[in-house]
Amino acid sequence: MVVNRQLIGAAVAALVVVAGLVAASLLLQRDDETAAPTTTDEAPPALFDGIPQERAVLGSPAANVTLSVFEDFQCPICRQFVAEGLPEIVEAYVRPGKVKLRLVGLAFIGPDSEKALFHALAAGGQGKLWQYADLLYANQGGENDGWVTDELLERISSDLGLDHAKLAAVADGRAVLQQANAMATEAEQREVPGTPWFYVQVGDAEPYEVRPGSFAIEEFREILDDALDG
Amino acid sequence: MSDRSLRLALAVVTLAGVAVAAYLAYVHYRPGSLICTGGGGCETVQESEYAELLGIPVALLGLLAYLVVLGLVVRDTPLARTLAAAVGIAGLAFAAYLVILQAFVIEAWCVWCLVNDVAIVPLLAVLAVVRAARGQVIGT
Repeated sequence: MVVNRQLIGAAVAALVVVAGLVAASLLLQRDDETAAPTTTDEAPPALFDGIPQERAVLGSPAANVTLSVFEDFQCPICRQFVAEGLPEIVEAYVRPGKVKLRLVGLAFIGPDSEKALFHALAAGGQGKLWQYADLLYANQGGENDGWVTDELLERISSDLGLDHAKLAAVADGRAVLQQANAMATEAEQREVPGTPWFYVQVGDAEPYEVRPGSFAIEEFREILDDALDG
Repeated sequence: MSDRSLRLALAVVTLAGVAVAAYLAYVHYRPGSLICTGGGGCETVQESEYAELLGIPVALLGLLAYLVVLGLVVRDTPLARTLAAAVGIAGLAFAAYLVILQAFVIEAWCVWCLVNDVAIVPLLAVLAVVRAARGQVIGT
């Protein structure tokens, strides 16, 4: 096949452009790695201070609307929700007592999910499940790479002022297992396809699925205001 | 295969690329549309630092490249064929880089990215290069 110089020249130019893009991508990545502090310790979140917690439920028991969040502690999109969406929901709806949040923990990604979930549920027994969850997300590692270490869990307990020996014993106990199983069963019954996944319940009515287009507060405002008016 | 058939095939492949790249660009800007499922990967690729280049989502760069190729296919001059082949070759090289990143750096697979990187882009590159080479033979 005869291919003239024009085509070869264009191909070479194209490859040079790609080499430039790849080099830029790699160099920028290296800059990011050196610039970003690799802290794993996070300050205990003040976001939940002063808000009632009962096991997996955050917010006033009198709140008529419940937003259930199905999540897996290894899910990076859940971490994104907790970082970007949750704080404004808590300040605008949960702290004023309008809405309750219910964490429905799942462990479908793998062993690290299960270990994290069991310990978070155990922290619920000491009234700090949401803070514990927040710190788990802040320290989230790669999927099932063993990031949920005993050291990490102990450090989170220590940061939150929890009795870790008691927490670890509860995490291995029957009550937490039953709670986790009940959450998994609920997800199965509702055919939750993945995480994060959201349901809204008004009073004792049947919960209904909601799908925010993003984690921006405007999206949740529409959903929650609608439920509050409903 | 006639040149007309090749051109049609290239247009179809490019449109498929536009659809996939547009979807990936959409989910990049609409994180609420992403979920983690049991299949693994967990959209990690889309969420990784490599999903953007110079602040621009890679999916958006891909979409732009597909639209350029589509424009060149419509124009269909000898120069347009050569440029479409060049973009195809560039796309192929960059797709190979993205596959290597997924395999060895991010260590997670994004299914839609793979559809793009191992099916659509190579097909587009082959079709565009064959058309350009044929055009060169005829034209010289």
